[in-house]
Amino acid sequence: MAKDSERRDLFPGALELMILQSLRWRPMHGYALAKHIKQVSDDLLKIEEGSLYPALQRLLREGLLESEAGVSAKGRPTRIYRVTEAGLHHLEQQVSSFEKMFAGITRVLAVAKS
Amino acid sequence: MSRLAPLFGRRRRYDDLSVSIQEHIAERADELVAEGMPRIQAEQAARREFGNVGLIEQRSREAWQWPTAESILADVRFALRQLMRSRGFTATAVITLALGIAVNATMFSMVSGFLMPKLPGPDPQHIVVPSSINPDAQFQPDVYPVSVPNYLAWSDDKRVFAEMAASDGRSGSLSQPGQQPEAIVYSAVTPNYFTIFRVAPELGRALLAGEDQPGHDHVVILSHGLWARRFGSDRSIIGRSVRLNREDYVVAGVMPETFRMMAYTPQLWVPMTLTEADGAAGTRKNRYLTLFSRLAPGVTLEQARAQLKILAEQDQKDYPEAEKRWGASARTLGDFLIYSFGIKKALAVMMTVVGFVLLIACANVAGLMLTRAVGRQKELAIRMSLGASRGRVMRQLLTEGIVIALLGGVVGLFISYFGIQGLRAGLNFNDAVAAVPVSLDRNVLLFAMAISLVSAVLSSVAPALKSSRTDINTDLKSETRGATSGRSHNRMRVFLVGGEIALALFLLIGSCILIRGVYQLDHQQLGFNHDHLLTAAVQLDEARYADATKQAQFVQEAIGRLQQIPGVQSVAVASDLPASGPGSVPIHIKGQVESNASEVHTALDVVVSPEYFDLTRIPLLQGRTFTGRDDGSVPGVVIVNQEFMRKYFPGQNPVGKQIQLDVTGVAPAWYEIVGVVADVKSYSEDPRTEPEVYEAWAQRPCASFSFLVRSNVEPNSLIPALRRAFAELDAELPLLRVMNMDQVIDKQRSGNPLFTKLLAAFAGLALILSAIGIYGLIAYSVGQRTQEIGIRMALGAKTRDISRMILRESFKVTAIGSSIGLVLALPLPTVFDSMFQGLPFRAPGVYPLVLVVMLAVAFGATYVPARRATHIDPTRALRSE
Repeated sequence: MAKDSERRDLFPGALELMILQSLRWRPMHGYALAKHIKQVSDDLLKIEEGSLYPALQRLLREGLLESEAGVSAKGRPTRIYRVTEAGLHHLEQQVSSFEKMFAGITRVLAVAKS
Repeated sequence: MSRLAPLFGRRRRYDDLSVSIQEHIAERADELVAEGMPRIQAEQAARREFGNVGLIEQRSREAWQWPTAESILADVRFALRQLMRSRGFTATAVITLALGIAVNATMFSMVSGFLMPKLPGPDPQHIVVPSSINPDAQFQPDVYPVSVPNYLAWSDDKRVFAEMAASDGRSGSLSQPGQQPEAIVYSAVTPNYFTIFRVAPELGRALLAGEDQPGHDHVVILSHGLWARRFGSDRSIIGRSVRLNREDYVVAGVMPETFRMMAYTPQLWVPMTLTEADGAAGTRKNRYLTLFSRLAPGVTLEQARAQLKILAEQDQKDYPEAEKRWGASARTLGDFLIYSFGIKKALAVMMTVVGFVLLIACANVAGLMLTRAVGRQKELAIRMSLGASRGRVMRQLLTEGIVIALLGGVVGLFISYFGIQGLRAGLNFNDAVAAVPVSLDRNVLLFAMAISLVSAVLSSVAPALKSSRTDINTDLKSETRGATSGRSHNRMRVFLVGGEIALALFLLIGSCILIRGVYQLDHQQLGFNHDHLLTAAVQLDEARYADATKQAQFVQEAIGRLQQIPGVQSVAVASDLPASGPGSVPIHIKGQVESNASEVHTALDVVVSPEYFDLTRIPLLQGRTFTGRDDGSVPGVVIVNQEFMRKYFPGQNPVGKQIQLDVTGVAPAWYEIVGVVADVKSYSEDPRTEPEVYEAWAQRPCASFSFLVRSNVEPNSLIPALRRAFAELDAELPLLRVMNMDQVIDKQRSGNPLFTKLLAAFAGLALILSAIGIYGLIAYSVGQRTQEIGIRMALGAKTRDISRMILRESFKVTAIGSSIGLVLALPLPTVFDSMFQGLPFRAPGVYPLVLVVMLAVAFGATYVPARRATHIDPTRALRSE
């Protein structure tokens, strides 16, 4: 069912990767996370805010994140998300595999240009 | 843990999720307000940016859910609620499917009982039944019994057959002091018989090695049924003696109830004594043993068959006189039992019929679902616009279909419980059939479940596909009841109803042809007078009637006594009753050279007393009948039937010609044909007439025969006097079957009446279901066209035009469906001919007749809605939206 759940403009796994990376920097609640990703990517990446939540739930389920009750900047009750040990481990693996992939793509593109 | 943990903390998870999302939207709205947007607009904008909250929550939750199980449960709950809301629809659909499933489950109980027999003991699949292949037999020639010499030779082949037992079915009398002697069927078996099946007795012991020796052989093993019925399940029976065929036997054991093999389930077993004389070469033509063998480890059925073939070929060379052209083969136990029961084809026909009935029921339900889907078009469109995918909507619709089908399955099983009871009561036409357990067993339950699911798919996939292809825009906007998609739904319904009609017509024609064939058989001219004819069969035992003189004496005395009974006109004896399928023997004709070895002349062989022809009113055509002088002191004489003359003496007068009969156990001799009599059907339940030879009773008496009593009073009223006469003659001799000839013929019809009744019932059900289908289609289409009809009438159309328009619609569907059904049914007689030999299936008259019936039913089903259409009030109709 998860297959048809999002229409991502990103490639599969990219959103999860960015969530993990952002939360590694500091634990955040949902809105802050969405805003953070938007700002950092300079609005280059189009992320539907809604698609963030299913991704968060999947990461929670897999034990890569944990959540706790907290309050937002405005003092409203919300949930703060934090990366677990397993999440960090997963992130490192993914990042290195992404880097390899990007390196490969870049090389191919470079050859094709010249 | 990973599977279950999510199920528990889930409520909290869902709350967390909502809190996060609510906060997200609130914070965004705050920001927008801070940017100067009015509060209300800001909140709306925040929500818009976020997207579909419900959908996103659902997607997020799905991450936690035990994949589909939970949402299926929700679907089922939803489906039940929806179905509760439209009870009329639900009840109609459930009952329609229940009927279809019930007839299938009911018939399948027979399949389960007869084609999936529960075999006794462990590993029954390694038990095979080696048999002879009879080159001359018409009916099941490859499961012919085996002679003693062949049994001994085959059982010696230990590389193939680890062990082999022989069994000989017999009938005899069981008596106890002070009780009426009872005729029973029993088997004489080799002592290793029970070892083959590896079934231990319920009580006492099985047979011991050595009990097949004369002097040790008077022990008996009782079946559970006989023990319970005759001896009241008395556990102290072991060691007591019972009287079998006037001799005392000690009860050694009782077999459990599960030791049962369809037609091969005798009431008791005694050891078979095989002396040297039994195995002598001269006894090769005496084929009467049924063999059961456990294959040696690792040996396959094919290897066993190959080995038997080699053995049979060797025998052909070594004993050409007895074994020429005879073969040998083997079947597995289950295969053998099913095959020798010979019920497979009839069951195949019945299952096909009920399968079609179910298809028709499914088509009806599919039509209903389509109708319902039209009414729900808007609901579905709303659900899809709220983010439900097409797959999701389809799943919901399919779930409804499955819920309906399962409800139908439950109700169907309930109905089939009674159906099976009725069937069980009808399955009493012979002991072997009555002994087969037919019940609502596990196989039937599984089958009912399987067909419920199949019908769910058949009845709801097409409607679900169709309805989920909803165009949100037009459906939400359209103020009418979806005129466009309605038409395409209607096309599908027309298709469904047309298919139904085709199937129903096909079924009706098939059933009519079969029923007509069976009816004609039941009412064929048999060639003798069976009114006022009482019959009684006896089997003279060896203890008291060892030789022909004693047998002849018994017959003479019995005839004398029976003739004294008031109301009796004449009495005769015959080895077989007329039209009751006597045995066939090879014959040779003096002076005719048998050109081809494979073309052996055969004739049915009956031994009759001189009064027989006069009594049965079988006319003499040439020569003379038997007289009292045709006895053992003069050369043998025979009488032949017309068919015999036609086949073996074409264009000649056979009277005075000499023939030889190859009767087992009788020294070959030449017989002179002294007369020709008219044909009698060989079997009352078969149109065939075969060449037949009548021998004179006084020249060859036999131990097993029937008395025929012609009376001028109601024959069954003579039964007490007849029983008394026999009791005076021999108190310990049981009478096997005492009934009038009409009852004999009725019994020989065996399953035919049940078969035709069931066929008629199922065909009728198919007709009713398709009538409901036509009615539903037309009623729905009239309902849809209320407005149109109103306009037409407002513009001056007459009621006649309206009803003609409606009828035309119905007629079109019926005509197309019927034509397809007719074409499909054209090859049916050929198919039936190849399945059931000899029945009169050519019945061209059936086709137009059934077509007329179908058209009449279609007209009737259309009439009510057509009438309703003509009563439409134009002003009301135009306002009816």
